[in-house]
Amino acid sequence: MIPGVSLSCEGIERYLGEDESRVHALRGVTLDVTPGSTHAVVGPSGCGKSTLLYILGLLDHPDAGSVMLGTEPASDLPDRELSRRRNEFIGFIFQFHFLLEDFSAHENVMIPMRKLGRLSAEEMTDRGAALLDAVGLGDRLQRPSRHLSGGEQQRVAIARALANDPRVILADEPTGNLDTMNSQRAFDLLQRLAHEGDKALFLVTHNPTIAEACDWIHEMKDGRIIGSHARGQRGPMNMKL
Amino acid sequence: MQAQTRGFAQYFIDSSLGSNGALIVRERFEPRQIGSIVPPRTSKKNVQHRQLFEGITNANEIMRVSRQFTNVVACSPVLRGSLNARSGFENATVDLFGIEPALHLQTTDLAHQLVEGSLDDFRNRPESVIIGSRLANTLNIATGDSVQLLSPGGEYRRFNVAAVARSGVGAIDAVRVYCHARVAQTLLRKPYTASMIIYKLRDPDRAPALAAHFETLFQHGAASWQEREESTLHLFLTLQLSAAITVSLVILLAGFGIFNVLTMTVLSKIREIAILRSMGYRRRDISAIFIWQGALIATAGALIGCGAGALLTWGVSKIPIHLTGLLSTDHFVVTWDWRHYVWAILLAMVAVFLASYVPARRAALLPPVVTLRGSSV
Repeated sequence: MIPGVSLSCEGIERYLGEDESRVHALRGVTLDVTPGSTHAVVGPSGCGKSTLLYILGLLDHPDAGSVMLGTEPASDLPDRELSRRRNEFIGFIFQFHFLLEDFSAHENVMIPMRKLGRLSAEEMTDRGAALLDAVGLGDRLQRPSRHLSGGEQQRVAIARALANDPRVILADEPTGNLDTMNSQRAFDLLQRLAHEGDKALFLVTHNPTIAEACDWIHEMKDGRIIGSHARGQRGPMNMKL
Repeated sequence: MQAQTRGFAQYFIDSSLGSNGALIVRERFEPRQIGSIVPPRTSKKNVQHRQLFEGITNANEIMRVSRQFTNVVACSPVLRGSLNARSGFENATVDLFGIEPALHLQTTDLAHQLVEGSLDDFRNRPESVIIGSRLANTLNIATGDSVQLLSPGGEYRRFNVAAVARSGVGAIDAVRVYCHARVAQTLLRKPYTASMIIYKLRDPDRAPALAAHFETLFQHGAASWQEREESTLHLFLTLQLSAAITVSLVILLAGFGIFNVLTMTVLSKIREIAILRSMGYRRRDISAIFIWQGALIATAGALIGCGAGALLTWGVSKIPIHLTGLLSTDHFVVTWDWRHYVWAILLAMVAVFLASYVPARRAALLPPVVTLRGSSV
């Protein structure tokens, strides 16, 4: 295992679309994400941020290059293995929460745990309640997710992403659908969980405030990372083209 | 639907067995080439070489031997002939059955077929007859009336109608007249007391094999009820096949309905499918969800369908109808057979599995990233 690296990718190429609409979405992207660090990917719409996120999250296959989860090459594994790694090592947070509306907050949080199957029913119930309590929704356990506010739904999504204690949290504009106050609260929560839980947080955002608050900012343009710099620093750092 | 078609078929079979027995031994035959082995009865070519002798002269001996067979419950000699009947201004050609009442009642359901009159009256009065219900209508007579039967010599003999019987088979009820065997022998002017022996069997399905055996054993023609009623049974079989095709089409249509419902469910749940996939659920997990959903639909449908089917079958059996054609009945005849329900459940399960498999497979193959990317725009 590469010491201190949770997730990495090298030389990622990705084309989207067919024939005349075919777009070269990612052009040789290389990146390391370390535990306990927070990474923001910024750039104009269509520059390939979400595509990179989905490839890092093993939801999409690169046309060239590789994704490593720790030391294990992960991008070419069969669907069964990719699913297992997503379930065990990766937590996803989406802009629109993507909760199962017919389920309660508690049930939503337990969905990844049910798939992993490591905990007993009682343990899952307790862990789900503890996670929701940690995000400030301890009194909303049985409330149907559709009856929660936008901020509450996003916090349920954060709790769900942490359900199996993943090594990496991937977030696609996690605050994009929230007001300023809720955005900051959600991000603070994620950052705290990443730092305290020694997890890597990799998020795509258009929010400059949130990007600046991350440990690393990766600027993307036309499918390339044109600059990576640590918080508070200006200019390209650790840039791998 | 199967309960109805099968019900009428079973009603016909029961009525036929109850009136004419499961097996009939008829005239004696001899091969033209004496000493040769008796040819198989299925060989028409060899049948033409038979020399037939009208009547059965050793009926008691044949019946004594027959009773040794475990499949034989009872047997009864019948002297059968065709006559003209007259009552008032009405005339009809009748099928006369000269019977030994005690033996005949053991062999057939005649006692249960009486719709009016008394069996004792018939038993105790040699000059009495039992007539078929439709024949009674044709001749416009009832119990207590008299009917005249025209002997081959041209003279009419008067009989008292002791009872009216309804077998349920129109062809029987329209012509059948029962009288005492000795009276029939006199009336028909036959030198023998029986022209056939009818049998009641424990297992009527084995009648063809027993008929073949009796032919060899007794050197008399023998016919099973399956052979005797072949054309009518074919008609019922055709109706049952037709009903089975209709039922299959209904199940197929139901399968299409479930297919559509599940396909629409898949389409409406692509976001949830993508969410589950992002959380590590495998393609087979997603397929399993929809196949499980199909199984729940099938189970609920089977339970409700069986209940509703049984209720409808019961309701149909209470519908009053007045049939007087091939069958005579005053209500819908149905049969209660658990196998209909088992087959319906199995067919439904197969149809639902096939109907849910394709949408389930489709759901599993949906690339989650396309949905997630589309939803985040």
